[in-house]
Amino acid sequence: MSSSLGRVINFPARRGTELATSVVSRATSGISAATTRFTAEQTATVDDWGRDPQLVRMITTLSHFRWSVTVGGDQHLKRRKGALVVVNARRFALAPIFSALAISEALDRPVRFVGRPDTAPIGSFSRRLGGLLDHPDEVAGALSAGELVVMGADHDPRLREVGIVDHALVGAAMLSSVPVFPAATASNPMSRNARIEVGSATRPGRKRRGPLAELELADRVRDDIELMLEEMGEMRTGTPLDWLPITAMGGS
Amino acid sequence: MGGRRVFVSGVGGELGTLIASLLEDESWVGELSGIDADPPRRRLHRTAFHRMHPDEHDRIVETVTKFNPHVLVHVGVWEPDARAAPHVAATLTDQAATSIIGAAAECPALENVIVRSGIEIYGRARGALTRPSESAPIQPTSQWGHTVAGIEHTAALVGERVGVTVGAVRLAPVLGPHVPSPLGRLLRMPAVPFSVLADPPFAVIQDRDAALAIVAAARVGLSEPVNVVAPGAITVLQAARRGRRIPIPLIGRDWRIARAMSHMLGAPIPDHLSEVFHRGRLADNSRMQELLGIVPETKTTDVVDRLYDWPTVIRQPARIQVA
Repeated sequence: MSSSLGRVINFPARRGTELATSVVSRATSGISAATTRFTAEQTATVDDWGRDPQLVRMITTLSHFRWSVTVGGDQHLKRRKGALVVVNARRFALAPIFSALAISEALDRPVRFVGRPDTAPIGSFSRRLGGLLDHPDEVAGALSAGELVVMGADHDPRLREVGIVDHALVGAAMLSSVPVFPAATASNPMSRNARIEVGSATRPGRKRRGPLAELELADRVRDDIELMLEEMGEMRTGTPLDWLPITAMGGS
Repeated sequence: MGGRRVFVSGVGGELGTLIASLLEDESWVGELSGIDADPPRRRLHRTAFHRMHPDEHDRIVETVTKFNPHVLVHVGVWEPDARAAPHVAATLTDQAATSIIGAAAECPALENVIVRSGIEIYGRARGALTRPSESAPIQPTSQWGHTVAGIEHTAALVGERVGVTVGAVRLAPVLGPHVPSPLGRLLRMPAVPFSVLADPPFAVIQDRDAALAIVAAARVGLSEPVNVVAPGAITVLQAARRGRRIPIPLIGRDWRIARAMSHMLGAPIPDHLSEVFHRGRLADNSRMQELLGIVPETKTTDVVDRLYDWPTVIRQPARIQVA
């Protein structure tokens, strides 16, 4: 009896120790990884596209106050090769930006996003974060250089609906012979929880010789994202707010 | 292939001299000749140098046609505020392009023309591509951009008319120990102004890499444009910090004062340099390997580091004191 009672009493303590050890170990590994990155990377530089890795790291850390992003399906994305990731987007959700930051953190490689303005200071700041102009040639150049690029579909206020995917940008990916991945994003204006689920690469339906190929691929990507949003289900805050129709699936 | 005659215009400049000295070591080059308004910066062993001003059309035509080159390497260009004021530089460049390329067109042996151009040709208008490739539209937004666009246009017209291939080597801003460059001059000032709202990235090219690229273009008979840009990029603030210069943040009308002061202190800021400070200047160099078979040896950050490593004045005392 006493031994049994001892086990009952000891269990939470042991569990607590394990938890503490785990937390310390994770924190230590995080610090050591961060130290390695700091020492490995040269200070005061930007890359070929003007992305500042130090600023990105700082903004990624700050973004954790707003978003706690869970990235799934990132195993589909290659560590070195170029790819275009298309995400669903809603107004003011900044889905392409938080997706790029989160995927970059998950893969430990630079990820760029499409849609920076070309006016200072917002455009300059976006460029430092890895922003590209919303121009097919710009995207094609980055993809050809082996970069991972995130672009957002048009904003759509409806839940589980995805806006139109710019076929010209998808065409840039086809021209650069890189795969196009659909990715469903979900975030909530009321909580930090956000999720990105990257699907397997979308294949063109049939072989076309003309620009119809990119139109069809853009539509297929859109369909794939919608399907993934259906599979993700609703996001819950665990509060009565869930009873209101503001669950904001799709990144509001 | 061996024994080809190569004519280099602008052989007196630092880049031209470097190109000529590299061409002298090339096995495919037979005779080598060059002209410029100033003599070469160092001793050239095989190159026959002719000193003449760009406006001496008759002498230029006579010299070039007499030499009858197979390959013309035209690097006789004047960057604004590098060695001449902007309007003088534009005039000299235009005169040289017209008379030298025009003279080469009269040569029956001519097969290939290589012209020195610049990535300023793409312009930095609002919405312009961040890293334009060679296929990007030519929309210059500075005087120097218009000048290099003019050179390429003249060369292309001549090439089309006489049936020779024309290659354009679009160089990033060239930096080197002796290269007169308004960018290099400004970055080496004790205090360097930068745009606090933009501070955009730019790329450069080491003078030796630029010369190697032009020589490679002549060797392979380049027949299209190619961007020659060192890998990597840097912003003005980052460059100033690397060089331990005092960065001066500027916004709006402060620039007008800064330009005037910088001009008085001997480092003028022409419009194409001002564009670098406000809009940045990058270009896609991914086709260099394919078209020229070489890649730059020095990264942009290293070029800038070397810029700050140059000693300001080297004083060498006389071996024998005579007085």
